[in-house]
Amino acid sequence: MVKRILAIVFILIIGLWMAKALDQVPFGEDRMLVGKYYLEHVKEETGAVNAVTAVVVNYRGFDTLGEVTVLFIASTGVAALLWRNRRKRTAKTEGSVVLTTGARLLLPFIMLFGAYIFIHGHLTPGGGFPGGATIATAFLFLYLAFTVYEIDHRIFEPLEGLAGIGYVTVGLIGLAIGGYFLFDWIWQTWGLGKENIGRLLSAGFIPIIYTLIGIKVGTELTGIVDNMVKEPEEGGQ
Amino acid sequence: MNPYYFASIALILIGFYAVLVKRNVIKMLVGLSIMETGVNLLLISVGYVSGKSAPILSEGITPDKAVDPIPQALVLTAIVIGVATTALALSVVINLYEKYKTLNVEEIRRLRG
Amino acid sequence: MNQYASLLIALPLFSAFFIPILKRISKNAVMPFLAFVTLIQTGIAALVFKEVYTTGKPIIVLAGGFKPPVGINLYIGHFAALFVLVIAAVSFLMALFSIKAVSIEPKDKYAMLFLLLMLGATGMISTGDIFNLFVFMEITAISAYALTAYNKTGEASEAALKYVVLGGVGSSFFLVGIALIYGSLGTLNMAHIAQLAGLINPTAAKVGLALLIFGLAVEAEQFPLNAWAPDAYQEAPHPVTAMFSAFVVKASLYAIGRILYILSAAEGWSSILRLLIILGTLTVILGEMSALRQTNVKRMFAYSSIAQVGLIAVGLALGTAAGVSASVFHMFNHAIVKALMFLAVGYVAVELGGAEIDKFEGLGKRMPVTAFAITVGAISIIGIPLFNVFWSKIQLILAALSAQYTWVVALILGASLVEATYYIRLIHAIWFKGEGEKVKENTVLVLAMLLLAALIIVVGIYPEPFWDIMQKAGSDIFDVAQYVKNVPLMGVNP
Repeated sequence: MVKRILAIVFILIIGLWMAKALDQVPFGEDRMLVGKYYLEHVKEETGAVNAVTAVVVNYRGFDTLGEVTVLFIASTGVAALLWRNRRKRTAKTEGSVVLTTGARLLLPFIMLFGAYIFIHGHLTPGGGFPGGATIATAFLFLYLAFTVYEIDHRIFEPLEGLAGIGYVTVGLIGLAIGGYFLFDWIWQTWGLGKENIGRLLSAGFIPIIYTLIGIKVGTELTGIVDNMVKEPEEGGQ
Repeated sequence: MNPYYFASIALILIGFYAVLVKRNVIKMLVGLSIMETGVNLLLISVGYVSGKSAPILSEGITPDKAVDPIPQALVLTAIVIGVATTALALSVVINLYEKYKTLNVEEIRRLRG
Repeated sequence: MNQYASLLIALPLFSAFFIPILKRISKNAVMPFLAFVTLIQTGIAALVFKEVYTTGKPIIVLAGGFKPPVGINLYIGHFAALFVLVIAAVSFLMALFSIKAVSIEPKDKYAMLFLLLMLGATGMISTGDIFNLFVFMEITAISAYALTAYNKTGEASEAALKYVVLGGVGSSFFLVGIALIYGSLGTLNMAHIAQLAGLINPTAAKVGLALLIFGLAVEAEQFPLNAWAPDAYQEAPHPVTAMFSAFVVKASLYAIGRILYILSAAEGWSSILRLLIILGTLTVILGEMSALRQTNVKRMFAYSSIAQVGLIAVGLALGTAAGVSASVFHMFNHAIVKALMFLAVGYVAVELGGAEIDKFEGLGKRMPVTAFAITVGAISIIGIPLFNVFWSKIQLILAALSAQYTWVVALILGASLVEATYYIRLIHAIWFKGEGEKVKENTVLVLAMLLLAALIIVVGIYPEPFWDIMQKAGSDIFDVAQYVKNVPLMGVNP
């Protein structure tokens, strides 16, 4: 009881402190400094109309590389921690007819939708991460519907690694062609797609990177789901 | 104190309370998730400019009619990092449960001695 | 040449992504590949170090080709060049140690996490942007969580759980700090923030800075957020513990120093300095007191390490150039000493089956080189002259005196006294107690231990060239005006 009261007092103090500081950052005021620059120059410097995507992939692409790495670490960590000699699925309830039929029917559409999200990342909100998550949802659906379904780790893990290598390679090609790591060589050196701003084939390497990220995130999240669903075999360790 | 800042601080405090006080490990992790959601909400609210709309510059939205794109990019990254932390934390909890057969933090601490 | 320094980040990343593919080709190639990659990283780091210290100018890597603050830049100045080399070298030695010390599967995932831990620390000290610092901090932290729980025992899982919860709370607060700083200034680039720091409102500055430091204090093992550290150090695989102590905590301490000095033009800065000194002092006191009571040698070393990083934080918080340089010197010395000591302790645990103090009795006769290594490390931490830590402690004392913090001098001397107590107890057990027959010691590890011990003694006998380097590295952090001048900021004002 005492612990709860102390905790409440403590967090109320922290809350008041943060609120006082936030009063100095008034809501809704235009305080953009670098943001303004991004909005004004995004079309000519990157070719994307979605300013957030351009910031994520192009201007602050290094952060996105880090983010992709973080998800990779999570997937690797989950696999490392839940690794046992032999593991199998132990679900006993088969999915109902609605679930199994629905999963079979919807699977291609969900994957198509996920692919749509990451291919159009430079035009509409979304991008690689939601796209990849949607694709992972498709696999999750299969896990829910069929008690024997499992993915083949020997395909998914190298695919994950390959997509990651692809991203770093795009950056290294930028280093070789333009002299800077993660330089957008398609837009800035080769100038492909400059007449297409606002349509699909534009925005330099943003669609390429987002496709790679989409594949990576999809395979990683599926791998995490698979690792968490399985349990060690009885008597096996 | 406008509603967005208030809500995000409230979420952060509720999450922090759960982390400090709750004894069930899963509830602590839920609290951590709530904290992270609150922080993401705070980041986006800081970037909002009244009367402007989404920073997608097609169909009539010129650069001076858009909100700040930077906090949105930051939150994209922060959400993914939150997911990664939660996934790893949950697999640690799975291992803990397998070894100690309990999800109560006090009992786990007692078992260690 | 300059932009090729980005290979320091690209190489570990590429290798980590490559390991799943390598595993399909040949499972046994993974650990040697790890040693190979860390060796190449050490080579690149050595080239970068030479470049920065011979020309005296920092290497600025522009990611994406955009000038800061529009793009993200890496700032590899004197400090970063020195510590990237330290990180790479320690990782190489630990990669060699891992071949022997890590037998729990799945080893390929261990290698990936190892590389990414190294990458995270390298990124944290090279970056010039605070959100990028956050991303690299998370890379380091999440690899650390996974590696702490790697042995999959109940104790390791509990240690990892404590770490995850504290780390998660810390990073949430760090993000609130970023929200405040960004909301007030509109930029995320460190040099740009330093330029504009005078404009930030005092309340926002104080709260923002405090939140940022609290977020980093979890990784930097400062009181009261270091409850995870003794458990995690004890339960993590032995090479990983050495890496935690040698560079993971140093990267976070550097980040605290960097953020502190960037915002030095803001009002209310001195109160944050006072806060940090108090936290650092409490860390030292509690660390030393707890170390005295330990029977597990690895845990004892963990508490001793915590106390030393408390001293580093105190040095950073003195607010003078001398204090910062002394802290940097202590970071360097401590990294070498703790790498050696955890390597030795880990080796004993692997060979003799545990790290309790009774396993160390008679170690002098059973594993003489390892015992020698532990002795050298222990003597140097106490601060005996002719070993490296003596010089960094002297510099800390001098800096404290000139900043008129006389009680800090008493703190350092008192801590050294307590250290002497428990380390001499350990040395006594190693050399003067117990019997045993000789165990064959692995040649590679023997060479590694002798190399580190030699470095300790060399720095102890000829500190001047090293102190010179440390002063340059220290001014990298302290001299913010020069930092801002070195970064090619472009104007973004509309």
